[in-house]
Amino acid sequence: MELFNSESKKIVSDPINVNNPISLQVLGICSALAVTIRLDQAIIMTLAVVFVLCSSNVILSLIRNYIPARVRIVIMLSVIASLVSVVDELLKAYLYDMSKQLSVFVGLIITNCIIMGRAEAFALKHGPSKAFLDGLGNSMGYGLIIIVVSFFRELFGAGTITLPDGGAGYVLWSIPESWYAAGYENIGLLVLSPGAFIILGLVIWIQREFAGVEEDA
Amino acid sequence: MYSNNYTLFFVFIVTVVLGTMLSFTKDSVKDLQDQNLKADVQKTILRSLNFDESLLLTNESIEETFKSSIDAKCVNVEGEIVDCNIEEVDIEKNEDTLPIYIRVDNDEVQGIALPIAGKGLWSTIFGYIALNPDTDSVLGIQFYKHGETPGLGGEVEKKWFTDNFVNHPSKQPNGEIQYIPKKIRDKSGKIVSIKVVKGGVDYSESNTSSIHQVDGISGATVTADGVTDFLLEDLLRYEKTLDKIRDYGTI
Repeated sequence: MELFNSESKKIVSDPINVNNPISLQVLGICSALAVTIRLDQAIIMTLAVVFVLCSSNVILSLIRNYIPARVRIVIMLSVIASLVSVVDELLKAYLYDMSKQLSVFVGLIITNCIIMGRAEAFALKHGPSKAFLDGLGNSMGYGLIIIVVSFFRELFGAGTITLPDGGAGYVLWSIPESWYAAGYENIGLLVLSPGAFIILGLVIWIQREFAGVEEDA
Repeated sequence: MYSNNYTLFFVFIVTVVLGTMLSFTKDSVKDLQDQNLKADVQKTILRSLNFDESLLLTNESIEETFKSSIDAKCVNVEGEIVDCNIEEVDIEKNEDTLPIYIRVDNDEVQGIALPIAGKGLWSTIFGYIALNPDTDSVLGIQFYKHGETPGLGGEVEKKWFTDNFVNHPSKQPNGEIQYIPKKIRDKSGKIVSIKVVKGGVDYSESNTSSIHQVDGISGATVTADGVTDFLLEDLLRYEKTLDKIRDYGTI
């Protein structure tokens, strides 16, 4: 199989756009709301999900013909949970501050519906290279949305844009003091969960409009 | 359809492989994680003692600063120095070996950091409170480990909350802002600690104990009450030690 034929491209690009796991299927919402307070958290979370989803898809696809159907959910969960634990341990060792900020939400990748969903719906039915592309597409689709949401939440909620730097985060840009002096105020609501719902709702609306998707009435 | 034996065998193999992978990962990064944890505790102590953030950027600089400017020892409730391995002391359980961290610059005490720990809503909260050499006004307070709900009880570790314990900006009639320090001792010198007040502190003239109070966190009353309780309890264990430092400038 050629890696970059049109079918492979579709496997990667569909979940980023017209079949996005968050904005179209509305999966994986819990972590999308929780880790989008700051941009750097969303970026690290995206990398963690890309790693977990790609590896779990490939591993499960490799052993798909040997998994007894009766225990497949248990097997999928064990593989995913082990991969997430590995990520969690690595973050604690190499990105300690970030792992403190992400706290329980790294562990909660285990229960992210996107990962179990892709394993069940795709990886168990396709070969490893396709499964990898599917994992890549879906995790990037997830990442794209949470990065967009966190960008707006941080910018308008806290007045900064922070990139990950191995420590407590590198502030790329923050709203100048003169704006505050002139009467500008951060929207505190955006830092709280309701703010995430509002931004996510807007993103879903715009993305669906853009992708030309309509729900059946 | 696979046989039961095959299914059991398969699950067994998967478990062994995944288990090996996990323990291998944990084993290979354990040292790094321990270093990070140790540096995090030291960073919390240094932060509470108001060290400049630029000294606290890497694990190495934290350790160096800690070694060169902190005098760490243990005391008992009577305020006498006792022998201990300070890193091994369980601050939650130990009643008679109390760690104390003193910031010394040019042979003079600049601040005293004491470990505090106690139950919040879901978890034990760990932190340090640092006092000025008068052992009355607060130099800083920091929490480094807890399992409280992010956004609610988890706010205890945030700057807005911990800053409350140091002072309160009060606008004077002439328009100037005066910072009124928080105190842990009442007028007679007795330790009364600082109370986290539900809602907010009443700063009107009639509330004479506002210097012993800080604003609470909305939605996290249990966590706040926990902080109030263990702060008082832990400070009282150090009462004699603190009296000694106040009166003699040393233990």
